[in-house]
Amino acid sequence: MAVAIPQEAVRGRENYLREGGLLSWLITIDHKRIGVLYGLTSLGFMGLAGIEALLMRIQLAQPDNHFLSADVYNQFFTMHGTTMIFLVIMPLGLGFFGNVAMPLQIGARDVAFPRLNALSYWIFLFGALFMYSSFLFGGGPDAGWFGYANLTERFFTPGTRVDFWAIGLIILGFSSILGSLNFFVTIVNMRAPGMTFMRMPIFVWNILVASILVLVAFPPLTVGLIFLVMDRFIGTHFYSTVAGATPILWQHLFWIFGHPEVYILALPAFGIISETIPCFSRKPLFGYAAMAYATALIGFISYGVWGHHMFASGMGPIADAAFSLSTMIIAIPTGIKVYSWVATTWGGDFVKNTSFYYALAFVIQFTIGGLTGVMHAQPAMDLQQNGSYFIVAHFHYVIGGGSLFAFLSGIYYWWPKMTGKMMDERLGKLNFWLICIGFNMTFFPMHILGLGGMPRRVYTYGAGFHWAFWNMFETVGAFVMGVGILVFVIAIIQSLMSAETAVADPWDGRTLEWSIPSPPPIYNFAEIPHVHSKDAFWEMKHGRAQESRQPAAQPEHGAGGHGIHMPAPSLFPILLAAGLALVGIGAIAWLRITFVGVLIVYLAIIGMGFEYGTYGEHPSKERGDDAFPLDSRKVGMWTFIGSESLFFASLIGTYMVYKGRDLVGPTAKEILEIPLTSFSTFVLLMSSLLMVLALAAFERGNIRAGRNWLFGTAGLGCVFLGGQAYEFTKFFREGVTLQHNLFGQTFYTLVGFHGLHVLLGVIWLLTLAFASFKGMVPKKRALAVEFGGLYWHFVDIVWIVIFSLIYLMDKVTGA
Amino acid sequence: MSTAQASELAHEHEEAPRASTRVYVEIAVVLTVLTVLEIWAFYVPAVQPILIPLLMVLSGAKFALVVMFYMHLKFDHRAYTAIFGPLLTLGAFIVIALMIILAYFLGAPPTA
Repeated sequence: MAVAIPQEAVRGRENYLREGGLLSWLITIDHKRIGVLYGLTSLGFMGLAGIEALLMRIQLAQPDNHFLSADVYNQFFTMHGTTMIFLVIMPLGLGFFGNVAMPLQIGARDVAFPRLNALSYWIFLFGALFMYSSFLFGGGPDAGWFGYANLTERFFTPGTRVDFWAIGLIILGFSSILGSLNFFVTIVNMRAPGMTFMRMPIFVWNILVASILVLVAFPPLTVGLIFLVMDRFIGTHFYSTVAGATPILWQHLFWIFGHPEVYILALPAFGIISETIPCFSRKPLFGYAAMAYATALIGFISYGVWGHHMFASGMGPIADAAFSLSTMIIAIPTGIKVYSWVATTWGGDFVKNTSFYYALAFVIQFTIGGLTGVMHAQPAMDLQQNGSYFIVAHFHYVIGGGSLFAFLSGIYYWWPKMTGKMMDERLGKLNFWLICIGFNMTFFPMHILGLGGMPRRVYTYGAGFHWAFWNMFETVGAFVMGVGILVFVIAIIQSLMSAETAVADPWDGRTLEWSIPSPPPIYNFAEIPHVHSKDAFWEMKHGRAQESRQPAAQPEHGAGGHGIHMPAPSLFPILLAAGLALVGIGAIAWLRITFVGVLIVYLAIIGMGFEYGTYGEHPSKERGDDAFPLDSRKVGMWTFIGSESLFFASLIGTYMVYKGRDLVGPTAKEILEIPLTSFSTFVLLMSSLLMVLALAAFERGNIRAGRNWLFGTAGLGCVFLGGQAYEFTKFFREGVTLQHNLFGQTFYTLVGFHGLHVLLGVIWLLTLAFASFKGMVPKKRALAVEFGGLYWHFVDIVWIVIFSLIYLMDKVTGA
Repeated sequence: MSTAQASELAHEHEEAPRASTRVYVEIAVVLTVLTVLEIWAFYVPAVQPILIPLLMVLSGAKFALVVMFYMHLKFDHRAYTAIFGPLLTLGAFIVIALMIILAYFLGAPPTA
């Protein structure tokens, strides 16, 4: 159900922060509150990562130091990297800024799927806590944030440390994918009337591309992590040479994710800077179109540069040349951005506040990091620097001097909007100079140390290398930076406690968020704005669009005199996330807990599915226009299916890579049964027919027929699963187990995951069928059946590929 | 135009008439025939030299039929195709890239 806010009360509820008590934060689905939760959580973890970093710097301050043991140092550098990337920069950029600013900038009342948004946050929190709980059970993860195989195999890293890391990352991956899917749909489908793509604020462009990158980058990582978990728990050999496999597979799957990830971290920062620099230069952004295209181009190219992380692995001259070229090419759109920022400042009437200072420092430091990045595009040079402190300097200038500084600029910029308070400029300048000087003291000398040969990831070094001076210098710098962060925290507290309130538009801003009160009311916009140009709010205030400030749609007035409809808070997101965490805990501790977790997840999904059926449907209900005749839920479903395609592509790719490389038989050619599988294929194809007939019946309002077709579809799905169970059992009896050879492990994993999807589909369809008995799937909710159908057909098309590629082709070409 | 009317209009626009039951059944028949063709090609020695490209064409046709008719991409708004198409292409890119790069790295399969 929805919360209906009486129109007469709209003007009275001006502050999203003050609605309800603590419990209201646990069940909130307001994007602004979720953004605040992301921000607080990320800053908390940044504190942890900072403490880890300072302890590492104390250890490295002197040669032959024993402040930390090698083991503890390994844990700290692993968790510092993992934390900063997965728990700080990424959730700050997308989760915090994406939630706080993006919906306001596009003139939306919330994101497309508010409860999914809450779910993303709670999964993020529980996943992070799960990973950090490793310290309570024998120590933290210690194999590096990149978790290179085969160091991560059970033989080399026994215990549960890597288990927590791998399962934690899988859980966090769910959060990232759900959150990005939500943002993608929101931006595609929920922009204010008149806001074309080329009128979107450039920050929104960057969030859009970063969200797409998450959707395409995380599935390969998830597959890589699943292989790792299987190697450690079940004894497969995906990354072990024992069975003819190669650890290099991990590097590919990891860096297929890893380099887009760099831009997932950087793009929100680019977006923030593209807002703050024009605002405080009192000029429009230079080259808006070029910036938008450059953003899209970065997203596209970033998927083809992963190999530059692997020059040292010996990929061969052709792959080296290709990745070298693509890496140099991606510098072009990035260069366009830097040029635009600099050109925007040219002749500007600067507002020299803290946000602007951080933005300028970002441009300089990010450019330094970018230039050293281009150096690494050359394999010959990369081989000299790889594994040295030069690389550490490079990526800290990109992510620390880049993204983190941009985020600080963004916090100072949007703080008045979020909180209704101003931040103290004197404290702001103080924390800027401390952090900026400390940062450069810490990381610039690492270039020198790296070129001098100091390897990264070492916990100590000998006095004879003459690295002591710069290491001490860096440690002092790190503490200066730490003091700067403390001053920043003090500035936040001081601001929250001060009585000074912020006006709605303290910066004379250009974008729509500045047109509403600070802090915004829970419904954001009392009247949805019409957009006629870029810099929409600026045009409204100063330009020709003043006359068009009339609302696009009057808030609906129902029979009860209700006005703006917002979705109600929900307990299910936090329940579902807790269930997912239990699944992870059970995998490590006690398997029965996993089953409890699965049950909670299932019930929570059902609860969410039937709790509130209409939110997210065609946005014209909210907006009063028909410019985008798309249903947000359907856009989301197709996006999810597309992302799932990459999951299966990674599984299929692995199967194809290992095909014919078994050291022992039996292999595909000797064991696969075509007649049985042909029958199963026929069954699955016919189930798709029944599924589409079910949908047609529900759309006609013939619920009984639709239900029968649904039962028929699920029944054929069960027949298919029965065939698969028979096939697996037969193979097991013939000695082909998951551990037996490469064919066994890749076949069972690929076909098994497909079977798992069929099983989930069967459960989904049966749930719909039984719900229809209670009248919960009426004609007007036939879309619910269509979503189940889309998923079912997707499972079908994956099988079409598997049947041809694995069964028919492999039987002929396989060993 | 009222909000409700706009919504109704947009909904109709999105859900333009799709295929009839007869078309769905015809598609199922074509899918069955294509599957039979795949299996026939697999067992007939004369087809072996072109088996792999033939199987790729046949399975590609089945894939396209399901996506176009059963998943309604042929009838629905083009935006859905614009979302799914590039992601599917990236998936194919991953498979091909992994195969090429790791085949070079690992050398020829020992049993090939």
